[in-house]
Amino acid sequence: MDLIITLIINGLATGMLIFLLAAGLTLIFGLMHVLNFAHGGLFIWGAFTGVWVYQLSGSLLLGIGAAIFTGLVLGLITERLIIRPVYGNTMQQILITLGLMLVLQELIKVVYGPDQVAVAPPEYLDGSFLIGDIVLIKYRLFIIAVGLLVFIVISFILKRTKIGLVVRAGVMNKEMVQALGINIQVVFMLVFMAGAALAALSGILHALYSGVIYAEMGLEFSILAFIVVVIGGMGSFKGSLFAAILVGLAQAFMAYYVPFLSLAVNMLLMVIVLIFRPQGLFRGKE
Amino acid sequence: MDSLLKLQEVEAFIEKYHILHEVSISVPKGGVTVLLGRNGAGKTTTLRTIMGLNQVNKGSVTFKGEEIRNLPPHHIAGKGIGYVPEDQGIFGELTVGENIRVAMKKENQETTKRMEWVLELFPDLKKFWKKPGGQLSGGQKQMLSIARAYLNENELLLIDEPSKGLAPIVVEKVTETIEQMKEEATILLVEQNFAMANKVGDQFYIIDDGQTVHSGRMEELQEDKAVMKKYLGIS
Amino acid sequence: MRLGNIDKTTWIYLGIALALFIVPFILTGRSAQFIMIQIFIFAIFAMSYDLLLGYTGIISFGHVMFFGIGAYSTAIFMDRLDASIGALVLAVAVAVILAAIVSFIVGMLTLRLKSHFYAMLTLGLAGLFLVVAEKWRPLTGGFDGFTFRVPDLLSTSESLYTLSLISLILIFFGLRRFTNSPFGKVLMTIRENEERTESLGYNVLHYKVIASVVSGVVASFAGVLYMLSLRFVDTSVFATDITIDVLLMTIIGGVGTLVGPILGAGLVELAHHWLSGLSDVHWIFERWIILYGTVYILVVIFFPLGIVGTIRKKMAKRTAVQARSIKK
Repeated sequence: MDLIITLIINGLATGMLIFLLAAGLTLIFGLMHVLNFAHGGLFIWGAFTGVWVYQLSGSLLLGIGAAIFTGLVLGLITERLIIRPVYGNTMQQILITLGLMLVLQELIKVVYGPDQVAVAPPEYLDGSFLIGDIVLIKYRLFIIAVGLLVFIVISFILKRTKIGLVVRAGVMNKEMVQALGINIQVVFMLVFMAGAALAALSGILHALYSGVIYAEMGLEFSILAFIVVVIGGMGSFKGSLFAAILVGLAQAFMAYYVPFLSLAVNMLLMVIVLIFRPQGLFRGKE
Repeated sequence: MDSLLKLQEVEAFIEKYHILHEVSISVPKGGVTVLLGRNGAGKTTTLRTIMGLNQVNKGSVTFKGEEIRNLPPHHIAGKGIGYVPEDQGIFGELTVGENIRVAMKKENQETTKRMEWVLELFPDLKKFWKKPGGQLSGGQKQMLSIARAYLNENELLLIDEPSKGLAPIVVEKVTETIEQMKEEATILLVEQNFAMANKVGDQFYIIDDGQTVHSGRMEELQEDKAVMKKYLGIS
Repeated sequence: MRLGNIDKTTWIYLGIALALFIVPFILTGRSAQFIMIQIFIFAIFAMSYDLLLGYTGIISFGHVMFFGIGAYSTAIFMDRLDASIGALVLAVAVAVILAAIVSFIVGMLTLRLKSHFYAMLTLGLAGLFLVVAEKWRPLTGGFDGFTFRVPDLLSTSESLYTLSLISLILIFFGLRRFTNSPFGKVLMTIRENEERTESLGYNVLHYKVIASVVSGVVASFAGVLYMLSLRFVDTSVFATDITIDVLLMTIIGGVGTLVGPILGAGLVELAHHWLSGLSDVHWIFERWIILYGTVYILVVIFFPLGIVGTIRKKMAKRTAVQARSIKK
């Protein structure tokens, strides 16, 4: 029993990390029809910069702040310089964001060195609670809490604020939003920056979770995020949470019971969803 | 006569296809100007081109004497042009209220006044305020779209085939609405339903194969059987 | 076909091909010849990619799966049977048939999807192949891989050079005919506008699947040659890096030109070699991928047609201008 609870908590924590990464990806896709293959690059930049600041200052909060800031800045630069010149051209977008992914990944090695970096959570998040026989690792609970908080905040923004309404309207019909006098370019930029910041946040949280970071983990992790976006339905924010938790749980249980299949299972899940329900589980037929 | 909107020899492409060859239209302030013509003649493209959703290759588009050709759509909308597209452009997953909120640029006395006026005109919108736009009936969607276009102190409304796909009784209702709206704003209307066009229109332009080929007062058109037959297929 | 019917460019290409046969007599070093062989092999692989990307407008991030199928078929047959020509022929047959079957199934399942999904799905599928190769240890040797012998006839650098050059020439002219055929023209209309092609009454899926099967088979053959030159296999033949490499070759050289990918393969392989060689001079050259990625991004934004595409466009313009001035 306690094993299952531990696995569930692991799964939820991983799921939340993937959710943070996938949420930005799905909103960016829904709004701009850009599938950002460089999203994983923003993730590792968040991880490395966040860890660097955290280890330098000893404050996790500062580290998280640095990661988010890095995400915002890189998001702004990426949207302006890389994505904007190729809006509307799917093929160029796919190719160019993949190229950016490579560059971001290699730049990490130039700035922070090619080696892995080890990192541990701060003392107040280290260790675990014991409830009966069940071990609850503090840091994992922390990740779940942050994930939920982000979900609630973004849900609120999307539902209650004007900019949120505009984003949702933009996902449905971009032209009409423009014809109502709204500058969609600005909306694109803000959403892209927010998505990048979420990816970077996911990066720093993941860094402390796995204890070690390396440049290549961006692409590995973003494949998981892609799977989530596909399962949840491109552009569906709620769908991305649900699918992320699903994938996170599958990952945790598979890693324990049939470790060699864990990646393959998620891939298979994506393949099946794409073949039978390409619009994802959470979106109606377009 | 001073015109609110003026298109001069406008040429436009969609991808590689030359859709508008030479469209010249002058919309005077007040009243309803109707664009007539067969399917595929370029009427919808003309509206989209005015709105900036299509590039203008040649010619000029002026609104209140100011050149607006190839401005981004949100600038054009900001100058006071409201757009009701052929498919109404309702945000299906947003409620009626949210659809209207997206459209409201600011919430001041003027817009509140306009909103009250609109809601009086379309009581259904008030009734279904919290209903998702996608679940409205065709007529209600049309009303919502027109209301949305009208909200922002817009002086000119571009309305694309409001009667399309609606039951005759609903068409009547929409016709009535447009007649009421024309007291408040200038309207450029694309319409296939000749009876409706004839009822609300003050002047008309006929577009054929991407060119404006004929224009005049609405009441003159009915007399001109030859033109009606040639361009509209009505005899 | 009468000789008079062959156009000028074909003669030029044939001339260059003949000149390449002389190269081994000048470049006698093994490592120089090895680089040339790699260029030929990747040129073949990149052309197969160009058939998808340039001619049909399909972006695959998993093209390496066919390359890997060819590679493993060869390695396993050479290892398990014997290093004879007969076993090699069998290996090629298996590589080609397997690639055809896999590309057909993958194509039927996935080519209905929009480009984003297709790109992602192929990325995922190639990942699956990588996992299988890693886990199926008895057959593949897992992550570490294994070495094997090749037929004596192909054990010298010169013979391998000749074999890959001949393959490159045959495949180049074969694909050139294929893309110039009415079938190839339909592929290009699909690239330009898929819905329109569909509405003209063509079964787009049918054309796309055939293109992807041809491309898969050619890629698999490139994998076979790659193995003959390496005599060692490991899971890296399924790595996404290789897909990205051919992607760069195709884009930089010029999509939809066939010659472009050959040129691209040459440039990328040489850059690969020289830049990583320079890492002794300065550590930044170890990170040559940055330079590489940046060039690639700039090419996508500013020269989406690639080297050959850009040159051809310029030439076409010039001839158009000349034609106009003659008219005057």
